[in-house]
Amino acid sequence: MGVRKLNCRTGDMPYGGAQGILLRARARGVMCHHQPDGPSRENMKSATDSDQRSPRPPADANPRSDAVLDFPAREYGELKAADYETLGFLAGLEVHQQLLTRSKLFCRCPAGRRAGDYDAEVLRHMRPTLSELGEYDGTALMEFKTRKEIVYQLSRRTVCTYEMDDTPPFEIDQEAVRVALEIALQLDLNLVSELHVMRKQYLDGSIPTGFQRTAMVGLTGSIPFRVPELGVDRELRIRQLSLEEDSCREIADVGHRITFRTDRLGVPLTETVTEPDLLTPLELQAAGRLLARVAQATGKVRRGPGAARQDVNVSVAGGRRVEIKGVDNHRGLPLLVHNEAFRQLNLLRMRAELRRRGVTSAMLVLPEKGVPWEVSPLVIDASGVLDDCDFAPIRDAFAREETVCAVRIPGFGGLLSRRTQPGVTFAREFADRVRVVACPEHRPFMIHSDIQDYGLDPRQWRSLRKRLGATIGDGMVVVWGREQDAATAVREVLIRAQDALQGVPAETRQAFRDGTNGFERILPGPDRMYPDTDTPPLPIPDSVVAEIRSQAGETPWQRERRYEQLGLSLTAARRLAAAPWADLFDELGPTPGETARRLGSTLATRIPCHLRQGTLQSMPDPARLAPLVRAIEAGEIRPEAAGRIVDHLLRHAEVPVGQILSRYRVREGDPERLERAVAEVVGRAAGLRRQTSDSIMRWCMGELMRAFLGRVDPRMVSDLVARELATAATRGPHERDA
Amino acid sequence: MSATRNDKYKGYRGPCLDLMRRWNVTVWSEVKAATTRGEFSGLILPRSETSDDLHIVLKLGSGYNVGLRHDTIRSIEQTGYREAHYKIPEQEFPYDPRHPSVKLLGTGGTIASRLDYRTGAVIPAFSPGELYGSVPELAEICNLETEKLFGVFSENMGPEEYLVLAQKVGETIAAGYDGIVIGHGTDTMHHTAAALSFMVQDPPIPIVMVGSQRSSDRPSSDAAQNLINATWAAAHGPIAEVMVCMFGPTSDRYNLLHRGTRVRKMHSSYRSTFRTLGDIPLAMVERGTITPLKTDWSPRRQDRRVLLRPFFNERVTLTYYYPGMDPDVIDALVDRGYRGIVIAGTGLGHVNRKTYPALERARDAGVHVYMTLQTLWGFVQMQVYETGREILELGVVPLSNMLPEVAYIKLGWALGVYPDDPEAARKLMTTVIAGETTEREPHDGYLVLQGGVPEVQEFIERVWR
Repeated sequence: MGVRKLNCRTGDMPYGGAQGILLRARARGVMCHHQPDGPSRENMKSATDSDQRSPRPPADANPRSDAVLDFPAREYGELKAADYETLGFLAGLEVHQQLLTRSKLFCRCPAGRRAGDYDAEVLRHMRPTLSELGEYDGTALMEFKTRKEIVYQLSRRTVCTYEMDDTPPFEIDQEAVRVALEIALQLDLNLVSELHVMRKQYLDGSIPTGFQRTAMVGLTGSIPFRVPELGVDRELRIRQLSLEEDSCREIADVGHRITFRTDRLGVPLTETVTEPDLLTPLELQAAGRLLARVAQATGKVRRGPGAARQDVNVSVAGGRRVEIKGVDNHRGLPLLVHNEAFRQLNLLRMRAELRRRGVTSAMLVLPEKGVPWEVSPLVIDASGVLDDCDFAPIRDAFAREETVCAVRIPGFGGLLSRRTQPGVTFAREFADRVRVVACPEHRPFMIHSDIQDYGLDPRQWRSLRKRLGATIGDGMVVVWGREQDAATAVREVLIRAQDALQGVPAETRQAFRDGTNGFERILPGPDRMYPDTDTPPLPIPDSVVAEIRSQAGETPWQRERRYEQLGLSLTAARRLAAAPWADLFDELGPTPGETARRLGSTLATRIPCHLRQGTLQSMPDPARLAPLVRAIEAGEIRPEAAGRIVDHLLRHAEVPVGQILSRYRVREGDPERLERAVAEVVGRAAGLRRQTSDSIMRWCMGELMRAFLGRVDPRMVSDLVARELATAATRGPHERDA
Repeated sequence: MSATRNDKYKGYRGPCLDLMRRWNVTVWSEVKAATTRGEFSGLILPRSETSDDLHIVLKLGSGYNVGLRHDTIRSIEQTGYREAHYKIPEQEFPYDPRHPSVKLLGTGGTIASRLDYRTGAVIPAFSPGELYGSVPELAEICNLETEKLFGVFSENMGPEEYLVLAQKVGETIAAGYDGIVIGHGTDTMHHTAAALSFMVQDPPIPIVMVGSQRSSDRPSSDAAQNLINATWAAAHGPIAEVMVCMFGPTSDRYNLLHRGTRVRKMHSSYRSTFRTLGDIPLAMVERGTITPLKTDWSPRRQDRRVLLRPFFNERVTLTYYYPGMDPDVIDALVDRGYRGIVIAGTGLGHVNRKTYPALERARDAGVHVYMTLQTLWGFVQMQVYETGREILELGVVPLSNMLPEVAYIKLGWALGVYPDDPEAARKLMTTVIAGETTEREPHDGYLVLQGGVPEVQEFIERVWR
C-alpha cells in the first residue's frame, strides 16, 4: 500500500480545490460515533460556546492591545527589528526532540525503527471526556463534531498491544527519564520532586488512546542567548520541559476517515517550551538552533528527519497567541512567523472594519438545535435556486444528492476576498474550518459572493441574495456536502464569522511549505489534562539529580565560553562548541592563543572536507594529531602549516607521524637556506611571462612555501622576495643576460 | 477525625499533613511554594492514599500535576482557593412513548465514570442523567431507568451479590420492562453471567451484561459503543437469554452477544477479550442491527413468566490441577468442610495417581467432585485412557464441555438448590439448564488464529479490523 497524501490544502478559489502542496496534510479532528448520533452534539455542553461568553485568560493575549492597523504590508526581509517591535511581535517556541533510547517510553518496543509496511489495521473513534477539574476541553469538543473514523496501521516489528491501547502502560523508560532530566538541568530548570504522568487529550486520532502520556520534568529556567549577528545578548527564559510519547504519522485524511501509521508512536521525546521572549523572526530561528544544540550536546537525542519538530507561538499587538505546528527545520521559521504576524494584523483590521460597520455577535448566531436552514433566516437550502446551476461542483453535488445551502453573513460584504496571507484571502479561514470540522468528502465544497468571475453567475448570486434577504453589505457563502456535513459546515461558517469580531481566534494552525499556514484546530487549554491512573508517580530524589548533574556534559554556552577563553572569536567558539569534533579539540588540549585558534579553524575546515572525501569515516584518533599540536606549541612547527600537515596525516595514515612532521620542523640554518632559495626562485621568475608584480609575487611565494611551510614565517619570506625582486629590477634585464 | 477535616487534607498524612497545617493550607489551596529546587505555583490536589506520604501534589496552570517533596519545601504561601467540582453534565433523560423501556442495573464497573481522588482510580457515574450526558445516543434507543445495586469492582462480586441481582432481575421482569442491561466490571462478568443463567431461567426478555475494557474517562473507551449496543440488544433484540455484550474485534466496529454460560474473558486488557468457547456467539450487534449467528436461542416473549431459583452454597471450590499436585490439597478442602470441588484437569480430564486416595476420601465424605478441562476447549472424555477410567471409579463426575468457571458457579447453585439431596444436585449438574454444555462442538467453535502464519496474516490484513 502506497502512502498517499489525499487531502490537499484548500486553494484560494474555489475552496478546497487541489492547489498548493501540503507540508503536513492534516485535517485534525475526530469523533466517535455510531448511530443514532442525532442528539449527541447538541448535548455535549460546548466549552467553545462558553469561551465566547467569558473571555479567555489574558495569558493568551498579546500584552499590548493597541493593534498597529496602519502598518504597511511588507514582504519578509523588508522589516527591521524595530518594525517588529512596532508591531508588537512576540514569539515563543515548543521544541519536540526525540530521545535516543533503546525502547519506547511506556512499552519495550524498539524506538526509532520505521515501518514501511504494516500487517494489520484497527479502527477507532474518539469521544471527549471530562478533565480532572470537570470541564470539557474546547478542542476536544470541536473534534468530536467532526465524526471521524480513525484507522491505525500496525506492524508487528514496531508496535505491541500497548500502542493499540489494548494493554496498559508498562513502567516508564528510565533511560528516557534520565535524558530528560539531563536536558532539564542544562536548561537550568527547577526540577519536580515527583513525576506525574498526565493524559493530554488529542481527539484528532494521532494517538490511539485519545491522549498523550506526558509528565512535567522541570519549570522556569533561563539560558544565555547570545547572537552577535543580531545584536542579541540576553537570557532566553525557558518555561518548562516535559517528557512525553510521540504520536502517529498521518498517512491519509479523506472525508470522514483518517489513517495513521503507528511506528513512531510512543517514542520518548522532550517538549521544551520557551517564554514568548523572541522579538523578531530571526531571533526565533536562532533560539530554535540554540535549543537544538542544547539537546544535541547530551549526545542522547535522535537526529535526522522528523527527530526534532517545533511548534511556534506567535502574536502581535492586539492579537492572541496562535500556535503553528509541525515545523521540522529552522530555515522556514522566519518567513512562517512573519506571515503569521501579518495574518493577525489583517484579521485585526477586519475586526476594526466589522466594528465600524456595527456588526455584532448576536447578528451571527444560529439556534443551538435544529437543522440550520429550517431554524434560521441566515441559512437557506439553495436547491431551489441553484438546481439548474451549471457550475460543475454544485451540479455534481446535486447529482450525489447532497445538500447545497447558502448562508448570509451580515456585514461581511467585500471582506471575504481581502488578503490575510500571501496569496490567501480571508475566505480561506472559513473554508479551513469547514474542511477540518465538517469533513466534506468532495472538493471544492464552498464558494462565496466576493468571487466575481468564477463559479456562480451574477444572476444566481442575485437570486440567492433575494432569497436570503441579503444586502450588498452582507457576505454570502454557499457550501455543499452530505446533509449532516452541510449543516455542520453552516454552523462553522457562522462560528468563524463570530470569531472575526474578536480578531484573532486562539487556534492551532499548520505550517505550509510556502511559508503560509492553515487552520488545524482550536487551541487547546489546560482542561484537556487528566492524570494517568495507569501509572504511579515517580519520585526524583536529590541523589538521582546529583548523579545526573555530575555526569552531565557542558552546555553549549559553557563550552563556547571556554573556547573564547582559549582565544577563539565568539563565532569560532560557537561553531566549535556545536561541532562533532569539539571533543577531539578538547582531547588535543591546545594552549590558549594562537595554537588554540589555529587548531579550531584547521579542524573546522579540514575535518568536514575529509569526511566528505571519504578519507575519514569518523573522528580521527587524537594520538595521530597530538604531536602536531605539541610541536606547534613548542615552536618547532609554525602554526600556518597545520592545515597542510593535518591533510598529510589523515591522507597517509600508513606513514609514521614523526616522519611527516619532520618535513615541517624548523631546522638549523633555515634562514640561510631561505636566502639562497629566494635568490634562486626570483631568478627563475624572471623567465616567466608574468604580467603583474603581484602574480610574480604569488608564484614565488607558492614555490618557496611549498618547501619552507612550517619552518619559516611567511611574512619573512614575502619580505625577502619583495626585496630580491626590487634588487633584480634595478639591475635590469641586460645584466641578467650576461 | 471529622469528615470535613479529613476532606481538607484528602489523602495527606505524615510529614506532608504536618507541613500543610504548619503553612495553613489545604487541598484546593492555590499556593506559591518556595523549595530547594526553585519556586512552584499551583493548586494543591488531593493525594492518592496508596501513594507515599512524602509528596504534595500541585496542579500547575498548564494542567500538569507535579509532586513536591516535603523536605524540599521552605515555605508555602496561599494565593487563592479553587475547589474542583467534577461532574458529568447531567440532563434529564428524555422520555419517548414510542421507545421500549430498559432498566439498567448497576453493580460497579466503568460504563460512565469519574476520577476518585482517594484512590486515584476511576469511579462510576451512573444516573440516567449522567449517562445521557456522556452517551446521549441512548435516548434514541429506549427510555432508560437505572438502579444502582452495588458499587463494587468486579473481583468483589460474589454469591451474595448474585442472589440480590437475580431477585432484582426477577422484579424487573415482573415490572414489565422490555429489556435489562447489567453494568458489570469485566474481570468476573462471565461468572455473574453464568450465575444469572442458572438463577433466572427462561426469561421472557433480554438480560444483557455489559462493561468496558477501557474506562470511560478515556476518549478511546469502548464503554460508549458497548453501552449503545447492549442497550439496543436489550430494547430491541429478539433473544431473551442472559448474555454478555462486548466488543467483537478490537476495532470500534460491532459487538458480539455471547451466551452467559459459554463466554469467558480471554485477555487481561484487549477490548475483544470476551469470546464464546466451544461454540459460536449468539449474534452480532452493530449500529442498531442485530444479526443472529446461531438459531437455537430463546426468543423474546410477551408474557412475564420466569423461573427464579436464587440459591447458592458457598462451600464449593474450583481447583486447578498441576502435575506435582499433592493429595493433601484435596484433603484440606474436605477437612475444611467443602461440599463440592470442581477440578480443572489436564487433557481429557486427568489428575495424577497420587491424588486418588484423596479423591476417594472426598467421595466417602460425601463431597461432590466434578471434572472439567484446563484446555477450555473440548470435552471431558474419561473413558479414553485408563487414567480417566480409574478416576471415574473414584466417583468423579465428568462435566462434558462445561467451562471450569461455569461448573464452579453451577455447582454452588445446585448445592444451593438441593443442600440436602446429593442425588438431586448431581442430577441437576448433568442436566443442561442454559446451554452450559453442548452436544456438538462445531469446527469453528475453536479458533485461536496463529499470528505470523502467512494465511492468517493475509486474513488479518484483508478482513480483521
